[in-house]
Amino acid sequence: MLLVNNLSFYRNDILIFEDLNLSIGNGQITQIRGKNGSGKTTFLKVILNILDSKIGEIFWEGKNIKKNIFNFYNETTFIMDQNTSSRKLTVFDNINFWRGLSSSKLNDYDINLLLETFNLKKYKDTKVMYLSTGEVKKLELLRLILEKKKLWILDEPYNHLDDLSIEILNQTFIDHINKDGIILFASHFNPSIENLRVIDFN
Amino acid sequence: MFKFLLNPNSFNKFSDTIFKPLVAITSIILVTGLILVYRSPLDYQQGLTVKIMYIHVPSAWLALLTYAIMTIYSIISLAFKIPFGFIINKAIAPIGTVFTVLCLLSGSLWGKPMWGTWWVWDARLTSVAILLIIYVIIIFLNQTFENREVREKTIAIFILIGSINLPIIKFSVDWWNTLHQPASVSKLSSPSIDISMLQPLLVMTVAFSLVGLIIAILRIKVEILTRKNYL
Amino acid sequence: MLFVKKIFLFFKRESKLFHNNIVDLLSNIIFFFLSIFVFVFALGTDEQLLRSIGLGIIWSLLLFSSTLSLRKFYEDDFNNGVLIIFHMSGISYEFIAFLKIISHFLFVQMPFLISLPIASIFFNLPIIEVYNLILTFIIGSLILSCLGSISASMNLLNKTNFSIGSILVLLFSIPLIIFSVGINEYENNFYSLFNLLLGIALIFLGISPWSSGAFIKLALKNK
Repeated sequence: MLLVNNLSFYRNDILIFEDLNLSIGNGQITQIRGKNGSGKTTFLKVILNILDSKIGEIFWEGKNIKKNIFNFYNETTFIMDQNTSSRKLTVFDNINFWRGLSSSKLNDYDINLLLETFNLKKYKDTKVMYLSTGEVKKLELLRLILEKKKLWILDEPYNHLDDLSIEILNQTFIDHINKDGIILFASHFNPSIENLRVIDFN
Repeated sequence: MFKFLLNPNSFNKFSDTIFKPLVAITSIILVTGLILVYRSPLDYQQGLTVKIMYIHVPSAWLALLTYAIMTIYSIISLAFKIPFGFIINKAIAPIGTVFTVLCLLSGSLWGKPMWGTWWVWDARLTSVAILLIIYVIIIFLNQTFENREVREKTIAIFILIGSINLPIIKFSVDWWNTLHQPASVSKLSSPSIDISMLQPLLVMTVAFSLVGLIIAILRIKVEILTRKNYL
Repeated sequence: MLFVKKIFLFFKRESKLFHNNIVDLLSNIIFFFLSIFVFVFALGTDEQLLRSIGLGIIWSLLLFSSTLSLRKFYEDDFNNGVLIIFHMSGISYEFIAFLKIISHFLFVQMPFLISLPIASIFFNLPIIEVYNLILTFIIGSLILSCLGSISASMNLLNKTNFSIGSILVLLFSIPLIIFSVGINEYENNFYSLFNLLLGIALIFLGISPWSSGAFIKLALKNK
């Protein structure tokens, strides 16, 4: 349960958004839609406490996140619009790093299977710098499954993906919701997911 | 009473009232000082070149004084979150730079006939040169960061760290064996300088600091105007 | 236990990154040797002269070479968001900065240790000075890493004036140079100056993670 209460944010004394109220229960998926510069990314970053908002509160499972920030992070996966994979390391090295950080229980066999579904298996020992933009994005989305967290926050997850990958991603979202997970993402794209709640930022 | 030292609005009011008398007094003192310097006796060893002292010593003192003021304001503005200190830091750093350059240049011109060289790597000279570099870096830092708060705090912290240099400059002539002569005026009980030379020196110092004060007031007012939105 | 594992993971990743980037590292060392050559060509090959000024030259060139790749200290991890991911796994920015300093010390500064004896041979330094040079470099390079961390994290906020970071590192390393070269001037001064260096290193090890962490947080907020 993610609860946002009267949230306002100013950047350099310019209002970005004001008096935002939002509550996302378990098993719900929410999209934030809006034109460029409407503050979608900023909103996600404020929720994650990367940007600091002085007005308003955010609660995760009934606790103020500012006081329990690492408990909150412990249950959250954040996919940024930039790619967190290191270009100079191989695909498998990157996966290993993420796996270690989130102390994931997946073994090498599972990871091979995962790479197979995302069609990345042949690049396992290739450096990320030689992958195409879409493939790097797919690699980034692998973190969702690796980390096995409850709350997924994604910034523009559909960018650079082909039709097949979009379908896989949608299916992943639906699986996660059915397991009582929470998804919050920002995108211009209109995916075909049932029960999708849309918040318009315009 | 001393609110004008911490508050931009009262500073504006205070400076408006004192500005015209201040300019008048400054011009009188400056002219008096120059006449006194002109009539002051020649040194029996150094001859005419001793008159460089009347520029060299006041500018050296004021270079240090400016930095000391900046240090005090940095502490005040960092500790008590008073933004006026940041304004002062930005406004008076160039004034300190000019005084330091004056001090180094006049010292160099004085050193050539007296010591036979424009520059020696002596503790006093080197530490003043480092003071000049610190001043220049402070001016550069003012142009560096886009974010105003970061810029002001960074500069204030940098000024605080750089203030280690002040006691080094002051005591360098006592700690190390230097070519530069030790302090001759600040020994209050018996200054080792003749009264006929001390008088014009002190008048010139007052004149220099008043000129600096006038420029500082103008610069601080400009700075207050440019950031009226934030105050 | 988990915390220790994360630290181990961090160093594993850093070592792989440096391994892939070994050319960059070797370029620093080549730069160091080449500038020694330039100095010798400029000053002439008078053995006495080179011996007397060798230590100072080696130290100043070490400084210049280690500021060469300072820009890369945080920039990559900051731009691709690894800092945020690492922070979200439960480690504060201050501790990340501390780990970064240690990894910079291990992977960038320590390779210079191999080049120091060779550089001393070029200048015909007496063996006692080589010994002092290596000892002071181990402490001094730690200070340099700390200074580099502060200036690099400052540069994250600064998109116009890129050389100011190197200027600050050079300015603050003046005392470092004075103490580490001065260690050879008087023989019985060794322990007092060495302890002084050690003290400076410990102070910086305390200050710089804290200030770098603050700068990183501010930079993330202003992105």
